[in-house]
Amino acid sequence: MSSASSSRLSIAQARSPQGADCVPASGSRDAVYFGSGEHKLFGWLQSPPASQASNIGLVICKPYGYEALCSHRSLRVFEETASALGMPTLQFDYLGTGDSGEIDAQADQLNAWTQDVIAAVNELRRRTGVQQVCLLGVRLGALLAVLAAGECTTVTSLILIAPIISGRRYVRSLRTAQLAAASMSGGTVDDTDRTDSMESSGFLISAATLAALSQTDLKTRAPPTVPDVLVIDGNALPGASEWTQQLVTAGTRAKYLALPGLIEMIMTAPQFAQVPHEMVAASRDWLHQLLSGSMTRAARRIEAVSPTSSPSMLLRTGGDQPVLLTERPVFFGPERILFGILTEPRQGEIRRRAVVLLNAGADFHIGVNRMHVTLAREWANRGYVTLRMDLAGLGDSGTRPGQQDNEVFPVAALDDIRAAVELLRSSYGAVDVTLFGLCSGAYHALRAAAARVPVNRILMVNPQHYFWKEGTTLDDLQLAEVVHNPRLYPRRMLSGVAWKRLLGGKVNVLRIAKIYFYRPLLALESFFRDMARRLHIRLPNDLGWELEEIYKRGVRIVFVFASGEPGIDLLKLEGGASVKQLGDCFRIHIVEGGDHIFSQSGPRAIMKKIISDELFTRS
Amino acid sequence: MSVRSMVVTQFERVAVEQHRMLARLSDELRLLDSGLDSLSFALIVARLEDALGFDPFDVAEDVKFPVTFGDFVRLYDNHK
Repeated sequence: MSSASSSRLSIAQARSPQGADCVPASGSRDAVYFGSGEHKLFGWLQSPPASQASNIGLVICKPYGYEALCSHRSLRVFEETASALGMPTLQFDYLGTGDSGEIDAQADQLNAWTQDVIAAVNELRRRTGVQQVCLLGVRLGALLAVLAAGECTTVTSLILIAPIISGRRYVRSLRTAQLAAASMSGGTVDDTDRTDSMESSGFLISAATLAALSQTDLKTRAPPTVPDVLVIDGNALPGASEWTQQLVTAGTRAKYLALPGLIEMIMTAPQFAQVPHEMVAASRDWLHQLLSGSMTRAARRIEAVSPTSSPSMLLRTGGDQPVLLTERPVFFGPERILFGILTEPRQGEIRRRAVVLLNAGADFHIGVNRMHVTLAREWANRGYVTLRMDLAGLGDSGTRPGQQDNEVFPVAALDDIRAAVELLRSSYGAVDVTLFGLCSGAYHALRAAAARVPVNRILMVNPQHYFWKEGTTLDDLQLAEVVHNPRLYPRRMLSGVAWKRLLGGKVNVLRIAKIYFYRPLLALESFFRDMARRLHIRLPNDLGWELEEIYKRGVRIVFVFASGEPGIDLLKLEGGASVKQLGDCFRIHIVEGGDHIFSQSGPRAIMKKIISDELFTRS
Repeated sequence: MSVRSMVVTQFERVAVEQHRMLARLSDELRLLDSGLDSLSFALIVARLEDALGFDPFDVAEDVKFPVTFGDFVRLYDNHK
């Protein structure tokens, strides 16, 4: 490992995400691993300067699945806000989630994760010396916080954001999403699956967990024996008012607020997700009062443990011949603001092959459905060094001054990818480097290869853009929409209601007109680009020319699409005749039944096998 | 307010929240073409449960997800 790499981010090094809510802290933020039973969990420890540290700490209990992906950057704002008040803060991934170790697929996640929360509380005490801990939980994390508080006397206060009160109702909402997803991809959910495990947005919930959740209802349980509780409901989907009243009746100092921002934080795609500023402010004010009332600021600190300088986690892979892999967090790049998790193959691997996994949209480095973690570990098991990274402004990377947060197509993405490739080449001696990406990650992989970043292979899943004009926003009309939507509109033109809506001004006529205007233009442009290419005239933004050039440099080019993805037609239109003329090292695969993020396990397994086979193929 | 109006309101509200371009809502519109995704539907169903007091998917027997918008409205109408 290069000594230039580190897993610690000084708070001054990078701007926090949309960080208008908190006074910048001047402590440190460390990536850490800690034990929960025989397993290892990954987390982030925010440590205020010792002179300002309170002896009440905060452990953040995340929501699960897609909600955790969407809220990732927002939770960091909660974390930094608490740290700015002097509270040492630990945010962590439950077993089988995020960057933590894997969980047995049959395990009762509710029970395992409750124990993980308790392990996190103990770890925060061990590392920082805090004597009391407040748990801040969101949705399922709030339920876990309540369950853990019942088993852990160190927990003396709770902040519960949109807590799951009825596990049964939570399961029902996941079930509805699963039914809808299956229906929309042309599949069905077998009724026999009702008692089995469930996959929601690509995240698994075991049968044991479903059973445990169905039995869990906070209204029928004894209230947690915690003196101070703040409950913040989303005002667009409130559900915890009645239970909070139960707490008050039972003698708990419970405060209830219904505030905006929940949907925007946890149920809005990461690229559109927003920090719930009012919820952050309410939490800050409540914590401030808690700290003032406790008279514990700068209390005596017991033997505090400094974060290790080079945290890592050993992973034992399954199978007949288990292999020990090592994972380690790393900050890299010239400004040390880029974050990633390296997975190293077993000791003695000499093939020096590496893969960089790029963000899909604004999803942080675990990828959609946590796919980047499973792929990274599978590929490391096959001898590859893998780096799942966050571009600047995304996930756990810092945001450069002047750069927007959560920008899916940042202008400096190429520099970030170049830095990642350089890290793998210089620190691991990698001689064969592959870029992997889904959606915008695929776009960035292509752009990097076109810009001659030294890579040997690009594996691209469901790209929807091949060029991106600076200044464009995701809400602008995209070419993917141009090639996709014309199929829908002719049917609608025959409908009387459609005309009524049109005349009533409820239809974005300009957008539809643009779609119909651009589509033939695209076809015409494709024809002229082919002509120009034959005459060896290079036009700007010529995908066909770029693909030929990348191919000639010996880079293997692989596209994988879910059937019906607009990127397929767009590739044909923008790539023109070149797409058909390239040889064996240019591959296009179509997977039936998948959606844009391969949220269902069947099509996802097929896609992953294709990608892995293409990675292992020696050209 | 009729069930249909409430359903329409929730479709429109969720589409705005989720930055999705909602197709014109007609009985024959396939939900697949509505512009919404599976999570949007989970949100709509949760909101409608709060508003109407029932969840038509909360039944012991097998329930298929509606194919068209008309089917979706009928599922709620028939459950009343």
